[in-house]
Amino acid sequence: MALLEVRNVSKVYRTQSAPVAALRNVSLTVDCGEFVALVGKSGGGKSTLLNLCGAMDFPTAGEVLIDGQATSNLSDAALTRLRRERVGFIFQSFQLLHTLTAVENVELPLLLARTPNARTIARERLYRVEMEEYADRFPHQLSGGQQQRVAIARALVHDPKLLLADEPTGNLDTATGETVLALLTRAAHDFEVALIMATHSNENVALADRVLQLRDGRLEHTAVLR
Amino acid sequence: MNSGWLLFERLILRPLLREPVRTALTVFAVALGVGVVIAIDLAGQAAAGSFHSSLESLTGKDDLLISNTGGIDQNLLGRLVQLPYAFRFSPRIEKFAFLNGKGEALPFIGLDLISSDAQDEIRPGALSHAADLLTTGDPVWVGSRLGLHKGDHVRLLINDALHDFTVAGVLKPQNGEIGEENVIVADIGLAQKATGKTGKLDSIGVRVPPGQTLGFWTDYLRKQLPSSLSVEPQGARTEENRKMLAAFRWNLRILSYIALVVGAFLIYNTISISVVRRRNEIGIVRALGADRRLITFAFLAEALFFGVVGSAIGLVIGRAMAVGAVGLIGNTVQALYVSSQPAPIEFTALGVLTAVGLGLAVSLLAALAPAFEASRVAPVEAMARGREEYVAAVRSRVMVAWAIILLAVGAGLTNLPPVHRQPIFAYIAVLFLIAGTSAIIPSVVALFAGTASSLLERLIGVEALLAMRSLRGSIGRTSILTAALAIAVAMTASVGIMVGSFRETVSLWMNDQLRADLYLRPAGLSAIDQHPTMSLEIAEQIAKLPGVSAVDRFRAYPITYQGLPATLAGTDTTFETSASTKFLPGENRDQILRRLSAGDYAVVSEPFANKHNVHTGSVLTLPLARAERRFTVLGVYYDYAAESGYIVVDWNTLMRYLPDPEVSNLAVYVKPSEDITAVRRQIDGIIGGRAVLVFSNATLRAGAIATFDRTFRITYALEAVAVIVAVMGIAGALLAMVIDRRREFALLRFLGAAKPQIRRIILCEAGLLGLLANGIGLLLGTALSLILIFVINKQSFGWTIQFHWPVPLLLAALTGIYLATVLAGLYPGQTAVRMNPIEVIHEE
Ligand SMILES: Nc1ncnc2c1ncn2[C@@H]1O[C@H](COP(=O)(O)OP(=O)(O)OP(=O)(O)O)[C@@H](O)[C@H]1O
Ligand SMILES: [Mg+2]
Repeated sequence: MALLEVRNVSKVYRTQSAPVAALRNVSLTVDCGEFVALVGKSGGGKSTLLNLCGAMDFPTAGEVLIDGQATSNLSDAALTRLRRERVGFIFQSFQLLHTLTAVENVELPLLLARTPNARTIARERLYRVEMEEYADRFPHQLSGGQQQRVAIARALVHDPKLLLADEPTGNLDTATGETVLALLTRAAHDFEVALIMATHSNENVALADRVLQLRDGRLEHTAVLR
Repeated sequence: MNSGWLLFERLILRPLLREPVRTALTVFAVALGVGVVIAIDLAGQAAAGSFHSSLESLTGKDDLLISNTGGIDQNLLGRLVQLPYAFRFSPRIEKFAFLNGKGEALPFIGLDLISSDAQDEIRPGALSHAADLLTTGDPVWVGSRLGLHKGDHVRLLINDALHDFTVAGVLKPQNGEIGEENVIVADIGLAQKATGKTGKLDSIGVRVPPGQTLGFWTDYLRKQLPSSLSVEPQGARTEENRKMLAAFRWNLRILSYIALVVGAFLIYNTISISVVRRRNEIGIVRALGADRRLITFAFLAEALFFGVVGSAIGLVIGRAMAVGAVGLIGNTVQALYVSSQPAPIEFTALGVLTAVGLGLAVSLLAALAPAFEASRVAPVEAMARGREEYVAAVRSRVMVAWAIILLAVGAGLTNLPPVHRQPIFAYIAVLFLIAGTSAIIPSVVALFAGTASSLLERLIGVEALLAMRSLRGSIGRTSILTAALAIAVAMTASVGIMVGSFRETVSLWMNDQLRADLYLRPAGLSAIDQHPTMSLEIAEQIAKLPGVSAVDRFRAYPITYQGLPATLAGTDTTFETSASTKFLPGENRDQILRRLSAGDYAVVSEPFANKHNVHTGSVLTLPLARAERRFTVLGVYYDYAAESGYIVVDWNTLMRYLPDPEVSNLAVYVKPSEDITAVRRQIDGIIGGRAVLVFSNATLRAGAIATFDRTFRITYALEAVAVIVAVMGIAGALLAMVIDRRREFALLRFLGAAKPQIRRIILCEAGLLGLLANGIGLLLGTALSLILIFVINKQSFGWTIQFHWPVPLLLAALTGIYLATVLAGLYPGQTAVRMNPIEVIHEE
């Protein structure tokens, strides 16, 4: 069974003026451990698709199945549980809580899920992203690249099966972006996590197993690189 | 359109209207603060206004009033009319009566209705053809509020007897005058008969001839009359009552300002949030050419908006609350000071201006600091990314130093004496303590967050950690909210402790003082300034009962001493029955009691001593029985019955000067071997048809405590309002916090937080704020209660109160406040949960 199945999904946003069709009849499957790059012009629907895959939002038509469970049928509590267990998010602007230290940021998902030994696991993840020595620093004491590494550790802390990254290198310079990306792909590989990454960068695309192109909400082109 | 207005509308008004709930909360907090001040002012005014004696509004034209302790001999009138000037005299009887022996005390007034003078003195129409009607059976004229009609029969309780009268007419209310709508008027002869004052008058109104000043005529009459008679301008008594009530009203007023002070903190908080949120905007406007003054004005205008709208609504709320407050204040006044009739509530221009002025001033003052901070935002900050955190420069060391100075000065101020009998310095000390505590709060918050964080995290979970971090992260905001709530809590706690201590003191005092088994007094509501009497035989016959070991007679007269009302009383000071009286430390009770009956000696109650600066050894000069009498004070005793105070002499001393043996109260001591119920039955037999009430010791005490509790209801109401204002402020601030931290809450949803968890974080913050505020408030409140008990109370009322923790009351109050604070987090919590995390993260 595929880890993620998107079946004939459409997403329409209601706005004050005309409704916006952000996704039109999109279908795709992602297997465990796969690295899928999402590309396409700005406004193409990449973020929208990621949110649907992470069970943060519901499709207007069609369905999204994570581990065989259709998100549309689940209660808020069940969706929360699904996210806690299966999904990790990485954002363009890092989104660390500035009142928490690095290690506290990383352990946050475990604490929210009331998992024991949170601190030990969090330190281990920081070690994986080579940030263990910065564990007790606050976000404003870290560089952008370091912050994003902490965010990666956080996204992996609860052993998710699906990692959703929305332009993770978008706020970083090219060199730092490359390091962070390398780290991200390696970590995804080590933890056997499927990674779906929206990106504008060609370097990022090159590392992916598959590239999906979204244009005006339609899946235009699928390239299998490996 | 004016460009200033446009800027105000766009930069200030529009953002406020975008958060209607929060804006409404702030406006309402100001409105409640202003409303309470107005309500207390209006209600206090109404309560004081009702002392306008009914006579003044009935016969308003008299210039002077002649009166005498124990009444004026009617024959004096005959001498007066022989004076070689064209005076007009109107004799009066003034008493209180109870309709059917129940309900409120109604002024019962006797006037000379037959003399033609009186005829035109009294309003035309109201008492027309009075003389004709005097021939019908015992006619009275009644105020319109009593709901009686011409021809009705009324039964009135006067002293210890019921009398039947016929309503001869209803007095029409006249151009808003107060006081006469529940009065009962009778002809002087009938009034003398009904009140048992045959041959006596309570007072004589005097209208002076033209051509000389009132002062001249006052001196002239004083020279002509025995020195025991007082000649005062009409209305002097009203003035005395007002003076007597001044301290009470001041204390109420000060209490009513607390809600406003709490409101000030909330305005400060609201404006600070505005400034912080709009730093970026301020930078842009500055870069576009706005000068600093404009920025300052813009934020002061925001405060003014809250002040104006809040005060306007406050006027309406205040008027409505005044209705309830009049009842509560009326209760207190009646129980502690003087029989009063609530007057209509009337807005005075001055009262309205004061309240609205206070509302505006408080709003503007509170906004000064943040508005000034806004003006210092440099134009370059337009380039900076908008920082949403609440950055308050908290220089905690400097603040702690300030706190210590403020607290020390405050403590020092409590040692200063009162100014014109007002504990001005003590009030200032309270302000200093509040300021000092507020200054120390940031350090306390930091300390608390540092030490309690891990413990709470273990107890409650990650929600507590996040809540704690956020409180600490925005320490300025947290401190202000904590301070606002802590002040409300402190006031509640301090007044609670004060009232609880007072109650305990009174109750202990009653245990000592009330040793008799049965107490008798005339029926009708009891009041401090009325001393209806019982027939002489009652006392005489009870004393003869075989089961009775002793009877204490007590006779009281309302007097004026140094321009303030007081009570002169005579009582049996036998050693057995008076041995329970407690004198101030260092005074020898046995010796005092032995000497008291030996001559012109007196003891005075503590409030009297403090008010008039009287000590053991002082000599009091009292005009009694045609001459000035001098009484040497032998001692000062503890008393909590009347704030106006007592001068007590021995029964025989009193009889020497005022030989009227009727008693106001009786205390009956039953022999230990005898059954109290049996004796009581015998006493009931002696009373017969007379309206006299008999109380057992326990009932009397219970009644006194019930009166006490009624008296302090108004203070509880005032504190409740301050707490409501604080809790509304917390709700508003939490709402702002939720909006400012929406990114965090959205992110938590991405990281796997369930909706209830988000809600719990906000409830946690509310709970932590409540915990801090309750803790600090209780400490501050204890300190303030010491000032209230030992300085303010002592200086304004003259009572010695023992400190006592009213634990159940405090527990209930603090728990209530705590729950209210946590509940204040519910709506903000709901708001946080309703936000769409995707949209919020997308905003970035
Ligand atoms: N909450 C919303 N309400 C209305 N329209 C929306 C909303 N979110 C996204 N859209 C619209 O849906 C479309 C797809 O947006 P989406 O954010 O998925 O694009 P994207 O591919 O991620 O773009 P970018 O590369 O710029 O991040 C856009 O036209 C956008 O305007
Ligand atoms: Mg996007």
